[in-house]
Amino acid sequence: MLSTVTKSVLRQAYRHPLYVGLNVFGLALGIGAFLTLVQLVRFEYSFNTNFSDADRIVRIDERWSEPGTTPYESADTTFRAIPFLKQDFPQIEEAIPLMGTTVRVEREGHFITFTGKMTDPAFFRIFPLPLLHENTGKSLTEPDSLVLSKSAALSLFGTIDAIGKTVTINQSGEKSTHVVTGVLTAISGPGLLDGVEMILPIPQQMKEKRSCFLFWGSSCSNVFLKLKNKKDINALRDGLPNFVERRASGGADDRISLGPHPEKVYALSAIPLRDLHFHDATVQDADDGVNQNVVDSIGLIGLLALLLACANTVNLATARAGMRAREVALRKTLGASRSALFTQFMGEALLISLIAGVVGMAVCEVLVPIMASMTGEAIHVDYGFILWALPLIVIGCGVASGVYPALVLSGYQPATILAATRMPSGGRRAVMLRNALVAGQFSIAVCIVICTLVIDQQTRFLRTADRGYVKSGLLVGQPMETEDIGLQRRMFDTLRAVPGVTSIAFGELEPDPHSQTRTNFAYNSPGGAVEAQLLQDRISPGYRETYRPRVLAGRWFDSAHGQDDSPLPGESANTTRNVILNEKAVRAYGFSSPAEAIGKVLHMDKTQYEIIGVISDIRFGSPRETVPPEILTFSTLTHRGFDNPVPAVQFKGVPRSVMAERLNRAWRTLRPDIASNFVPADELMEPYYAGDERRGHLFTMGAVAALFIACLGLYGLAAFAAARRFHEIGIRKTLGATAPQIIRLLVHDFLRPVLLACLIACPVAWVLMRQWLSEFDERIALNPAYFLIGISGAVIIAVLTVLGQTLRLARVEPARALRAEG
Amino acid sequence: MLIELSHIQRLYRSDEVETTALQDIDLRIDAGEFVAIMGPSGCGKSTLLNILGTIDRPTGGSYRFGEYELTALNEASLAKFRREHLGYVFQSFNLIDELTIEENIELALIYRNMPKAERRTRVAQAMDRVGIAHRARHYPSQLSGGQQQRAAIARAVVGEPRLILADEPTGNLDTENGAQVMDILQGLNDEGATIIMVTHSPSHADLAKRRIDMLDGQVVVSVRNAI
Repeated sequence: MLSTVTKSVLRQAYRHPLYVGLNVFGLALGIGAFLTLVQLVRFEYSFNTNFSDADRIVRIDERWSEPGTTPYESADTTFRAIPFLKQDFPQIEEAIPLMGTTVRVEREGHFITFTGKMTDPAFFRIFPLPLLHENTGKSLTEPDSLVLSKSAALSLFGTIDAIGKTVTINQSGEKSTHVVTGVLTAISGPGLLDGVEMILPIPQQMKEKRSCFLFWGSSCSNVFLKLKNKKDINALRDGLPNFVERRASGGADDRISLGPHPEKVYALSAIPLRDLHFHDATVQDADDGVNQNVVDSIGLIGLLALLLACANTVNLATARAGMRAREVALRKTLGASRSALFTQFMGEALLISLIAGVVGMAVCEVLVPIMASMTGEAIHVDYGFILWALPLIVIGCGVASGVYPALVLSGYQPATILAATRMPSGGRRAVMLRNALVAGQFSIAVCIVICTLVIDQQTRFLRTADRGYVKSGLLVGQPMETEDIGLQRRMFDTLRAVPGVTSIAFGELEPDPHSQTRTNFAYNSPGGAVEAQLLQDRISPGYRETYRPRVLAGRWFDSAHGQDDSPLPGESANTTRNVILNEKAVRAYGFSSPAEAIGKVLHMDKTQYEIIGVISDIRFGSPRETVPPEILTFSTLTHRGFDNPVPAVQFKGVPRSVMAERLNRAWRTLRPDIASNFVPADELMEPYYAGDERRGHLFTMGAVAALFIACLGLYGLAAFAAARRFHEIGIRKTLGATAPQIIRLLVHDFLRPVLLACLIACPVAWVLMRQWLSEFDERIALNPAYFLIGISGAVIIAVLTVLGQTLRLARVEPARALRAEG
Repeated sequence: MLIELSHIQRLYRSDEVETTALQDIDLRIDAGEFVAIMGPSGCGKSTLLNILGTIDRPTGGSYRFGEYELTALNEASLAKFRREHLGYVFQSFNLIDELTIEENIELALIYRNMPKAERRTRVAQAMDRVGIAHRARHYPSQLSGGQQQRAAIARAVVGEPRLILADEPTGNLDTENGAQVMDILQGLNDEGATIIMVTHSPSHADLAKRRIDMLDGQVVVSVRNAI
């Protein structure tokens, strides 16, 4: 049987290369696209799954829902909660703070930068990472201990045998010497410890000074817990509201607590480690979240590509069934049983599927590196997965594509077939099935094309959308890491004097801000007190010229107005300061217009804040997040410095790289201990936009594959319809039909399922894209143009696909067509 | 005179072989004639009929149909000529499987851009005439061979053509159905239609007014039957 099947397939390939070629190529492309996209989906789903006990590890997130503001969840949680969590929840085995940091090691006058984590000694009991020397329990016990990755050890010492060696770390100008106590072996699988090169204990001094260790309202990084049992997460979740009420409450003037009723505005939630990668897509202050719907959609596109390819094979096989009718009739006449013929045709389908599977794997090997470079992820072909998945796919595709044609073919009655002058067309039911398959294929393809268009337009829109400041010619430095006002002033003057700089500003927020402070401000409106949590930024002279925000009402800060400037030390209480709000803040307090807010006074503690201006919203964060209500205060750097200023400059007449180098050089004259890196604002914001763009590219890849496979199907169908309708066209021409009339007829027939597909695809795409766009704070409208372009594109491609066959049929000589077997 | 063929020649050329299907055919047919063409297989009967029906082009000679010199017309003009002046009946019926009997018959009128109401009237009359009105909504595969051929005749006459061409119209039918088809063709001829029929049946050829015998691509005998 195997040799019969092989011979039959080889003969078909020789006699009907178009048929076999379309079958193999279409199916291979479908299998290749499926395997490729599944690699990405598996990669995204594998985040944080490789830790042993991953099921018992959770992160504690904060959720703020201040009146007048959009509630938000933050991955950063106050470390103040950690000891209380351990006391109040017996289900917790370990609890640690985990802070991301950039570690600068000073070597021979220059800095080497490493990605690091600062944490507690319990870290290795929660994340049991393998070390070259098995002393994980003690690796971080001493304040000067340090664990390196292999790459960091090689980079620093030229060997991975680094235990006991010392490293001098320069953090924000403060030097400390550490002894290497462990070297990590490779961390398997992607996750929150991806790319970590150094792990070191949090310095005691930091724990004593930094507000996120001391106050409930302050957070700077993540809190991770390891539970005793996987199911304990339910008990933890149930207990967190009472925990907040019990532990975070305090008096109205108590700075450590969150006031008398913290549970009204603040909540904690427990997020399983395995869910973080997707959960973080909707959370502020998270590192690298990915929208699960997008990942699932990419997987769905892969599955649909495979289904399209299977549908193609069914379509081509049923279309061709009539042409094999005489072969079946003759075989039956010679004694073949129906079961033997069924087995033969199934065998042929499986063999074609097997060949396509092998080619598909090769396609996957070509596409995966392309996809890896498009997404920037370390995705490789997982041969372990392919080894078990490919046989299933081959059998599945073979059976799916072979069973219906095999049943049809093996069921032909030999007497009827041999007596007939024409080959059977399979009847109207077969025609309907073929049209339904084409409609199904194009529905999927058109839907993906429309989605791709919308995603592309949205990502373009985000790139060009008004962010409330001018990005062009804007270079942003890094935090100065000093509160020394003298040094800040000198830095300001030094950078301003750099040739090419047209303006300079200090601010406490910058594109992709390093830290954010939110504080409650009250406004006594005629209808009662309104309280809103505002994001605070303190800015210097030159900010307007550097960032160029739009003033919507009132005026900008002016050094000549004494009340504009920050108060002198000791003057902060019982004084009035001038502030500027953004539009969101104006709305949060219920002012009907920016102009209405001017002159109104806000309160925080005993200080009054008079609103002198309103600016448009400035977006320094993700386009998915709502711009928070913001308040700007002003400092002339005369008597009150910044907490941690970030310099930014506008420049002119100098190439960007030259300007950056000049600024870096100027920076080093005052802060030689802190590496300097002035970068364009766009570059800082890149991570917020690149993910969607890369995934947009994947959608494009999927759309092209889907459309191509659908066109292969249509082309195959057109080719076989041309053969089947050759005789009919002869009749029509004999009756006086002209070539244009024949073309119209054929194109109309071919396009009918395509147009039906468009009708199905449009509402589906609309629903999908409406949901996707709703995730963005700023988004495009679902313009009908995207749908029209998608439909027109599909129709044009479909027409071009069938045009060759159509023209050939339209030009046929009627006498020759009538002689042909119909 | 309705048809005048002068020195009609039809050669088929392949890479190595040149076959003469028709050679120096001269033929005149008057309006209202019923001509039967006979001859052995491969003698060129069907080729001659195809050329008369303008679905094949001669490689030499001229073909005059009434006021038209058909060898000079292009493809589009020939299509227009066919739909306005010719009707066809084939041995294998050549009905379109995907269309109902009514739609098959209507097809010839659709290509004339005839208004729908008029088409419907004419189709109904044609179906009544050949006795298949009760099968109007059926598909060809649901009809017997005789019924299919009567439907094909209805399609041929629905446009009231000046010439009906029939290529072995009884070839696929049993005796009874064959006789019915010949009755219909005779009736049409009696009403004034010009008919040219290729047949292998001497008895059916005898029902025509003139008989032409062909051999090796040439007309060897042309005789008028005694009526």
